[in-house]
Amino acid sequence: MVELIKVSKTYAPDVIALQNISVSIESGEMFFLIGMSGAGKTTLLKLLCSMEIPSKGLIEIAGLPINQLKGYKLAKLRQKIGVAYQDFKLLTDRTTAENIAISMEVSYKKPQLIRKRVIDLLDQLALSDKHDTITGELSRGEQQRVTLARAIANSPTMILVDEPTGNLDATTTERVMKLLTKCNKGGATIVIATHDDSIYRHTTHRVMELRQGEKYSLSGGLSL
Amino acid sequence: MSFWLTVLRQVGRNLKMTWGSQLMTLLTVSLSVLIFAFFYLIYSNMLNLGDKLGDDLSLIVYLDEEPGPELKQQLEKKIRTFDEVESIRFVSRSEAYDRFALQLGKNQDVLNDIPKDFLPPSIEVVPLKNLRSLNQVKLFSSYLASFPGTLKVQYGQDWVERFYYFTKLLSIIVLLSGTLLILTTIFMVAYTIRLTILGRQAELELLKLVGATNNYIRTPFLLEGLLQGILGSTFGITALYILFQWIKLRFSGPGFLNLFEFTFFSPSISFTIIGVSILLCTLGSYTTMQKFLRI
Repeated sequence: MVELIKVSKTYAPDVIALQNISVSIESGEMFFLIGMSGAGKTTLLKLLCSMEIPSKGLIEIAGLPINQLKGYKLAKLRQKIGVAYQDFKLLTDRTTAENIAISMEVSYKKPQLIRKRVIDLLDQLALSDKHDTITGELSRGEQQRVTLARAIANSPTMILVDEPTGNLDATTTERVMKLLTKCNKGGATIVIATHDDSIYRHTTHRVMELRQGEKYSLSGGLSL
Repeated sequence: MSFWLTVLRQVGRNLKMTWGSQLMTLLTVSLSVLIFAFFYLIYSNMLNLGDKLGDDLSLIVYLDEEPGPELKQQLEKKIRTFDEVESIRFVSRSEAYDRFALQLGKNQDVLNDIPKDFLPPSIEVVPLKNLRSLNQVKLFSSYLASFPGTLKVQYGQDWVERFYYFTKLLSIIVLLSGTLLILTTIFMVAYTIRLTILGRQAELELLKLVGATNNYIRTPFLLEGLLQGILGSTFGITALYILFQWIKLRFSGPGFLNLFEFTFFSPSISFTIIGVSILLCTLGSYTTMQKFLRI
């Protein structure tokens, strides 16, 4: 379970990115975070994966205050959180397979297991022919899918996805959402930050809208 | 995959990515070890030489008159106050005459008309056979000269002084080359590791985000430093050994090198030099990590 209690984030000198956000996300929930560009969606995801530290407030994951975790404990927590970043953070001089494998290598998975998982994920995301392609040579849409594959490769308990369909056509968007739904059904908590209303318009999951760093609305939740 | 296998893969990847600068660092470390070890080898051989030459060293204190038993005791006490000595021997006028006659051999007839007490009595002081005693022999000589009734103090002043200055100069060179070794190993290794870290900034950031532990990220860099130390110092010492053997072979036969036996380092000294170099290289990579790899 993820708990955010009165979380605020201010960037120097005085740019308020988030203000007083309080929300609980249940384990195994799929949660949509929507809002215009600059609303604070990405900042919230960065706080959840402890890439950033909140200026105020408390964030707890499974009862652990993540902004107080350090060293080994923080590393272990991060292994359980898969993040698909908006800017991809791909190693553009490495192959697709190597990029996906990196998240499994840090938790010392066996090489044959890593190979199998990479092939499986590439197949599910229609990237089988890109196994040995350097990621710098892929299109934006393909890079986005590789990022997603890397985020879910280590079978994390929480997956944070930032604009997962931004560069994708309708068919690939459907594939991506199908994969995320599969992970969710497998027990992972999914938090999707998006402004693509086609993916949350008819959802039964909870949707939180941010406006100028503040919680504007929280709706849905039929599946809970 | 095991931790060490993953770490070794990372090391291999790093070396492949920055092989140019790694090679330069390796060369620099090897050269620094070679230069230091070269001078240290000469220095340690000079110390051995000093010990050997010291075997023949003794100070002769000529006295104006024969000392009585009480004075002998006083003089001996005063000599031992200055420094530990190997032996003190009093030579009377008649003993000196007999020695001289013996040295003249067949020509001792020339002494027939000369009184037997024409040679002054003396004290033969043999200092301890170590470099410290050798180096302070001049001071010792001045000290002995200050005794009442001393006519003259004699020792192989010229070579002792030359030898003293030569070993002094060598010790400065050893010190300088040692400093060079420390600076080059620490800074060159630190610089190379820094280059690697900067070149892999994006990857390191990503590794942190996907949950790599501190050990996972840092160990490959530490191993790189360690490897530089092992290879660099081993190459340096091996090169010196080859050079040493070549010189021995090339200059064998009668000559300066045969005045005394030139020896290479004992295995323990060789391993100490290698060990210290490894330590310095690892220290270099560790300091860089502390500075540029904050996790």
